[in-house]
Amino acid sequence: MRRVLKLAMTLIAIAAINVTVLNAQTRNQVRKMEYNSSYNYEVATIAVGVDGTKLIEVWGYGKKAEDATRNAKMNAVACAIFKGFPAAGGGKAAKTPPICSNSNAADEHYDYFEKFFEPGGQYLLYVNMSSDVAPKRIKMDKHYKCGIAVSIAFDELRKELEKQGIARALDAGF
Amino acid sequence: MKKLILIVVAALFSIASYSQAKKPTIMVVPSDRMCISQGYSMKFDNQGSEVVLPDYKKAFQNDASLRLVITKMSGIMADRGFPLKDLEAEMKKMEQEAAEVSMMTSKMGSMIAESPIDALKRTAKADIIMELDYEVKQQGPKQYITFNLKGLDAYTSKVVASAAGTGAPSTAAPAELLLEEAVLSYMDEFNGRLMAHFEDMFANGREVRINVMVFDGWGSDLEAEYDFDGETDELNIFIEDWMAKNTVQGRFSLSDGTANMMRFEQVRTPLFYERNGSQRAMDTKKFVTDLKKFLSDEPFMIECKVYLKGLGEAWLIVGEK
Repeated sequence: MRRVLKLAMTLIAIAAINVTVLNAQTRNQVRKMEYNSSYNYEVATIAVGVDGTKLIEVWGYGKKAEDATRNAKMNAVACAIFKGFPAAGGGKAAKTPPICSNSNAADEHYDYFEKFFEPGGQYLLYVNMSSDVAPKRIKMDKHYKCGIAVSIAFDELRKELEKQGIARALDAGF
Repeated sequence: MKKLILIVVAALFSIASYSQAKKPTIMVVPSDRMCISQGYSMKFDNQGSEVVLPDYKKAFQNDASLRLVITKMSGIMADRGFPLKDLEAEMKKMEQEAAEVSMMTSKMGSMIAESPIDALKRTAKADIIMELDYEVKQQGPKQYITFNLKGLDAYTSKVVASAAGTGAPSTAAPAELLLEEAVLSYMDEFNGRLMAHFEDMFANGREVRINVMVFDGWGSDLEAEYDFDGETDELNIFIEDWMAKNTVQGRFSLSDGTANMMRFEQVRTPLFYERNGSQRAMDTKKFVTDLKKFLSDEPFMIECKVYLKGLGEAWLIVGEK
């Protein structure tokens, strides 16, 4: 009887360890998926930008701080194109819809965006550093997380994508 | 053979790419509430009851901030390919036109023919009205703006786009700067919704209103029976059948109907039609003219008059021209 009980206890312990390991794997997978997700932008609107621009704070990740800053700039432009910016609290700014209303634009124009977002690519034309918020740098386990304030030349970016036929112009078809 | 196919495909493509839908006109109009609360109003005695109406001319002549907001909005909309109709300029043009029509004569001394309806139609109008409402409010030493912008389809009376909110309070910034900030803040959201409206229009057709009425001298009504396509039914049923056949995905709703009138709402008309092998932009007048042609053919043989109310509304008056 004692042997049966011992065996049962061992089996329960093994099952518990398995569940914990599986959960940990799932957590890791989720973290990886979120890290690689093209929808995962950490962005906040700071205030209404001057004519045709958007003033935002955006976060990026990288092994070095410079990589994280570069990633943040890329995220800022990608967010303007695919996700839009949220409203700022306290009535400081209304939300901004994305330039591409078509949710499949990234896949449909894969080649264009690969070139657009390559290191030193055209996306940098539409990002200007702003001194409204001091840069933030957080050292994480094996990498850095950096937050910067940037001014996005939103109207110029929209016009470029409309010209390329990627974004639909308001007067298209009329 | 391959060449021939290529030519046909290229021709079809060029037709498709050059055909363009009728562009709606947009005009900014200050809301009744804003005009009346700021004293830009006119009072009328309408058979004993007092009617208060906004006085746009007075508002434009006295309110500098209104002009600033409209100019800012016009710039943004022109940049997006939609130059706005200016209400102030439109009103001046109407006044000038009315004066010219009343003065003009031919060498023989004839005046320009103008029915009371023609005179009534000579008003400033647009297909989409951007109804603007804002107020500068005070909170202790701070000022803030409440901003409300509605895009109204002039024919269906539906709100096709909107943006509203309250700005952040400020002690330092003047009201004009806060207003400018509000316009910059809300216009992208407004245009995003307007874009969604246009995308829906291109996918499901233009939403219009059509009224069918009867001239009292006709001597018949919409319940008169006819034999058509092997069926005997009332005229209003055949008109409904025509609507179902000619609207995009058969989408329309008959919101009201009697022996003397039918009111069709949410009628989705196609944006294009084919004529002489090429695609042309469809408007409500063309759509209703097709219905008129249907009724003038056998077995109905009814004379009708088409009365155009704008890009999105037309009336068909049955019985006479």
